[in-house]
Amino acid sequence: MSYMHIGKDFTPPCAQGKITGAARYAEDFRREGMVFARLLTSPVPSGMVRDIDVSEALRMDGVVGILTAEDLPAAPRPGVPALSNELTYVGQPILAIAAISEQIAENALERVRMNIERRPFVVDPLDSLVEGGPNAYPEGNVMMRGENGMELRSLKWTRQAVEDFRAGREPAAEFTTEWSYGDLEAGFAESTVIVEEPFVTAGYPHHSLEPRTCMAYWENGRCYFHGSLQSQSAANAPLSRMLGIELDQLVFINETTGGGFGSRIGPYPFMSIAGYLSRKVNRPVQVRITREEEFFIGSARSGMQGWIKVGVKPDGKVAAVDVIIVNDGGSSGSGSGSSSAGAISVSYQPTAMRFRGASVFTNTTPRGAQRGPGQNEMHAILAPVMDKAARQLGMDRVEFRRINAPDHNSLVEANQGPVTSAYMREAIDMGAQMFDWQAKINQPRRNGSKVIGIGVGEGYHAAGNNGFDGIVRIGPDGKVYLHTGVGNLGTYSYAATVRAAAEVLQCSWENCEIVRGNSDLGLPHSSGQGGSNTIFTHTRTNYVAAMDAVAKMKEIAAAELGGSPDDFSIDGTRVFKTATPAEGLTYAEAAQRAIALGGKFSGAEYPEDINDLTKLAVQKIAGTGLVGVAKDNLEKNGTAPGLAIAFAEVELDLDTGKYEIRDYTAVAECGTVVHPKGLSHGMNGGGVWGFGMAGFERHVYDPQNGLPANVGLYQSKPPTFLDVPRAMHTAAVNLPDPQSPFGARGIGEPAMGCAAAAIMSALTDALDGHLFNRTPVTPDMIIEHVAQNTYNNKSLKINTF
Amino acid sequence: MPSHDVMPDIELYQPVQVEDALDLASRLAERGWLLGGGQDTYGWLKDRNKSPEAMIDLNGIEALRGIRETASGLEIGALTTLTEVATNPLIQASYSLLSDAAVKVASPQIRNVGTVGGNLVQDVRCWYYRRGLSCYRAGGNLCYADTPQGMNREHAIFGASRCVAVTPSDTAPALVALDASMVIRSTSGERVVPAADFFVGPNVDIRHTTVLQPGEILTAVRIPNTWANATFYFEKVADRNVWDFALVSIAVAMRESGGVIQDSRFVAGAVQCTPRRLEAVEAAVRGKARGEATAMSIGTLASNGAEPLTHNGFKMHLVDNLAKRALLA
Amino acid sequence: MSVNPRLTRRRFIKGVIYSGAAAMSGAGVYLANAQSRPAAAVERLISINVNGRTRRVDVLPQETLAHTLRYKLELTGTKLGCNRGECGACTVLVDDVTHYACSMLTHSVKQRSVTTIEGLQSADGQLHVVQQAFLDELGPQCGFCTPGQVLATVALLKSNPRPTRDQARDALAGNLCRCGAYDHYLNGVMRASGQLS
Ligand SMILES: Cc1cc2nc3c(=O)[nH]c(=O)nc-3n(C[C@H](O)[C@H](O)[C@H](O)COP(=O)(O)OP(=O)(O)OC[C@H]3O[C@@H](n4cnc5c(N)ncnc54)[C@H](O)[C@@H]3O)c2cc1C
Ligand code: SF4
Ligand code: FES
Ligand code: FES
Repeated sequence: MSYMHIGKDFTPPCAQGKITGAARYAEDFRREGMVFARLLTSPVPSGMVRDIDVSEALRMDGVVGILTAEDLPAAPRPGVPALSNELTYVGQPILAIAAISEQIAENALERVRMNIERRPFVVDPLDSLVEGGPNAYPEGNVMMRGENGMELRSLKWTRQAVEDFRAGREPAAEFTTEWSYGDLEAGFAESTVIVEEPFVTAGYPHHSLEPRTCMAYWENGRCYFHGSLQSQSAANAPLSRMLGIELDQLVFINETTGGGFGSRIGPYPFMSIAGYLSRKVNRPVQVRITREEEFFIGSARSGMQGWIKVGVKPDGKVAAVDVIIVNDGGSSGSGSGSSSAGAISVSYQPTAMRFRGASVFTNTTPRGAQRGPGQNEMHAILAPVMDKAARQLGMDRVEFRRINAPDHNSLVEANQGPVTSAYMREAIDMGAQMFDWQAKINQPRRNGSKVIGIGVGEGYHAAGNNGFDGIVRIGPDGKVYLHTGVGNLGTYSYAATVRAAAEVLQCSWENCEIVRGNSDLGLPHSSGQGGSNTIFTHTRTNYVAAMDAVAKMKEIAAAELGGSPDDFSIDGTRVFKTATPAEGLTYAEAAQRAIALGGKFSGAEYPEDINDLTKLAVQKIAGTGLVGVAKDNLEKNGTAPGLAIAFAEVELDLDTGKYEIRDYTAVAECGTVVHPKGLSHGMNGGGVWGFGMAGFERHVYDPQNGLPANVGLYQSKPPTFLDVPRAMHTAAVNLPDPQSPFGARGIGEPAMGCAAAAIMSALTDALDGHLFNRTPVTPDMIIEHVAQNTYNNKSLKINTF
Repeated sequence: MPSHDVMPDIELYQPVQVEDALDLASRLAERGWLLGGGQDTYGWLKDRNKSPEAMIDLNGIEALRGIRETASGLEIGALTTLTEVATNPLIQASYSLLSDAAVKVASPQIRNVGTVGGNLVQDVRCWYYRRGLSCYRAGGNLCYADTPQGMNREHAIFGASRCVAVTPSDTAPALVALDASMVIRSTSGERVVPAADFFVGPNVDIRHTTVLQPGEILTAVRIPNTWANATFYFEKVADRNVWDFALVSIAVAMRESGGVIQDSRFVAGAVQCTPRRLEAVEAAVRGKARGEATAMSIGTLASNGAEPLTHNGFKMHLVDNLAKRALLA
Repeated sequence: MSVNPRLTRRRFIKGVIYSGAAAMSGAGVYLANAQSRPAAAVERLISINVNGRTRRVDVLPQETLAHTLRYKLELTGTKLGCNRGECGACTVLVDDVTHYACSMLTHSVKQRSVTTIEGLQSADGQLHVVQQAFLDELGPQCGFCTPGQVLATVALLKSNPRPTRDQARDALAGNLCRCGAYDHYLNGVMRASGQLS
């Protein structure tokens, strides 16, 4: 299929601003009279604030106001309150002070007096699970279904169960979540190879480079809010609820977002501070947060402590997988164990599978989605485990993955539902060839203290959703206005997806203008853009909106020129009679007619089934052109999988425990490629994130006092220019998904999982099959292993090495 | 934990003559804070965990900058930036151990302003201490790191004395290996201290990492030509290759003649509070040829006597391995 | 050691000379704010050269250049990713050398010239060759680190017009990209230096 726009590179309109400094992030907006707020955050991992005395701070020259938890609506508990007197982790915001300068606001923080009543705390989920262990909240440590729905309960395991679990034996214990399919026992019975391992993955902060600064002010009863989210339009409904106002009272402005990686899918509670504080002090308020606060409240990946048992039949087919995952849910209790297990069901297609798990609250930072939450760390752990199985079978590791790879007929995840399509075998073959797998594994491996490891790993994430809305507008000037509620978080998907509308309208890119970044401009409801969803989801919304616009143009033309709408065609500038092309209207004329006609043509009327936000948007633009607007009601049957496979060659120095990634090749299976440069960004960026997961990034908490050790970037260790390969090779299978009008699915998350998995696989390969069962694998672990002090017989822990 | 990142109100003095800086330093004593590139300073001030009343910015004092040859070696002004040290032809030609170390510090931008003086005098990076906890080094009466549960992967394997923080500086081991000496001035005069004596452990002074007293300014580093053009080896092992402090580093100078090592300096960084001379290794390799056999022969001499904490036992292997590598390179 | 001729004869400058309200400069909103500033924080009016223009601005003794640029001179292209020398988002050029604007005092650039991302385009708005190359290669993802990456490249190409990819990596190493757009940025450097077309 050859397209005008789909699959072609282009320069997204925001790129120029990014390289000139003109692009504006929330922190870059100024407003007459703006004041600056700073947060006072918890010094303790668990406790209650008693008696706050802010009088001295308030008396300071230049301090204009203070916001405490009492000024905010009561937050659900346990939850992630914006401000709180109940403290459940170090760094939790207690109050905010606004002053005429940052300097004064910070000085004022030092003048606040308060008493804090300490409570017991815990930073490791197993320390809480073990009988007699402390709970992060007085009432409990897990969410479980009770009489009143989900409620906080105390889940305890015997000492023996915890010990078994740590040591890699199946614990006799209770869980909060379970699912299974197939006959597990039969699966293990037919298996000739059984691998059973414990594992631990570390949680770690997102640390998007832009701290989540907000600025808000009120005018004529409306709140103008500058924020930083992954999606533009997913903000409005929840944020207006948070602020206690109607949908149309919120103007959400978010032209550029400095990264999200899952931490900015929807409005986060912290955002309400700017809104409430500005209302209280009646001035615009900017809340710039520090990097350290970004660590505290910027969300983090949940760590996993687990056990896995894999059974493989003599032909290499994975017959059974049994997995237990205890998540470190931090103070929000959020874990992703079920998604982790679901990922195994996709990538290796076991005939039978069981997952059991619990997400345990700890007194550490709140957790949330982070780039492939669960799936990616699971793949990182899984790759060496599966390598071990392949090795025991005497089967090539790539061949083993090929045999088990998902295809169109595969069933996936807990519910064993269908996929929209899957070309994983094609991806594996393509990658193995690009990487030259055979030659790589047969090369000499040892050179002095250096040893070469070759790895392969896969990534998966559900990559497509449906049911959102699209709007396109053809102006009386003939220009095509592509309205999008998709945010500008760095993937360029806002631009890539509106090109689907341009494609349908067959118009040149120069004749298009993207309308975005400010909800007052009339932007349709959109997804939260989590989890590789945007490309699939919003090529569809743009497609349906553009199809609506085309249908309306044809109707208008038929009414004016006679005949039926079906007799008409479009060419990007005109709608004309297919048989007699001279008879037609320009897009501009059609738009002018639409304005005159009103009704559905001009947006005065709109479909009932669109979201309230989209309705508001259409009301705003009604009468300004021909309005195409529709909800995506296209067929979607099954999971749209984003799949990827990566290959890595590392050169590991046994003396220092350091390694260099000498080659990295990754292939995306994301249906049709919509935007090649965007795809290579996603694949490379995902790769870098994968290297971070495999080698560097982790939470470190002190169990003695609940303090986090790695709040800054230099301690959190995101990979730098010198920690990634000199060049990265990426490609895509580029075969269309039948359930997407342009065949496209997403890839953002799998791009990371495959990289982490390939590195872990390569390290195991370099070390003669040694499994660390741990992410990240750091130089000290490698050194200890080489010195024959293995890490695995030590007790593995999530936050404390 | 209040999280600050704006410096508190403070005075700033910008002298252009050493004498004026010395006057200020002596007058302000503990209340003053000498400012080189500020790359260590600003973190302390932004965190509000140190609260001097005034900064004495030394950058305007041209006499404290620059690298020049002297009759007996090189003299490097204390305010010379790490970038200048890393790229200076004199240093690269004869004392590349130092430029190899300097180029490994932090990041290019930090090296562009960070001074060699600041790099040597910078405070330890123990994360408990940096968080503002009142530990021994901060004047309190406990150490958070040296406990069975302390998160002490980066801490010391030698020289524990209440405090187990390690020297963070990449250039310090190189300068100790080069037998450099430190020129220190105050209003009452000048003293010259050998690098090996300049750095002090917690057993000597738990609040400071050097012998510098309030009122004193490090004005220059002198490198004698003892080791000029010797065989050098520098290696730093850190988690990431930019920004991160050494897990262990090694700076080695070897004087060879007749195919054997006549004399050597093996100095390890990040294993104790000061750069650590590996004298047992130096003795063992004397009179031997560099190479596999000698490398193997030193065994665990480098780590002998180490007392690792819960999470830093790997440093013993690492320091042994690095000492060997110096002999193999 | 030679004496820098640009340095004044004044024996030393004390950073606490009070500047009256009449001497205030900068955007309106800050004028209003500055008048009610408490006595503890005393600003001093200084001149600094930014992007070829002399700017007069009231500066606190401890004020960082990033703060002055972003909040007083409205040059918000200089980003604050960490405010601690750990990321490079705030990178500016001072006398053509890369500096972290978050980790230097505004008072230390009085005699020097500062170039921010806003100062690269020519007067007629034409992009700097590095900017154009980064645009062509679509260097940025989220863009937050991009001004720093561009400036680090400008500095590199001034001293080394045809760097190898490895030299480029080393030169840009002080600029973290959380999005992981490293490969694209390096392509941008190679294109800007005419080694990629
Ligand atoms: C993110 C980050 C990463 C870092 N990574 C590394 C690393 O990998 N390796 C490394 O070695 N360092 C590292 N550093 C530490 C350090 O900031 C730099 O190494 C730099 O060299 C310090 O020099 P400076 O001139 O900027 O110090 P300043 O902050 O100016 O001074 C540091 C200390 O020395 C004192 N001082 C300065 N000059 C003199 C003088 N002439 N006489 C007496 N006292 C003086 C100051 O009063 C202060 O106490 C890092 C710093 C940061 C922020
Ligand atoms: S190691 Fe030293 S600096 Fe760190 S907590 Fe202990 S006493 Fe304080
Ligand atoms: S903001 Fe200056 S280095 Fe991060
Ligand atoms: S492009 Fe987002 S941090 Fe670099």
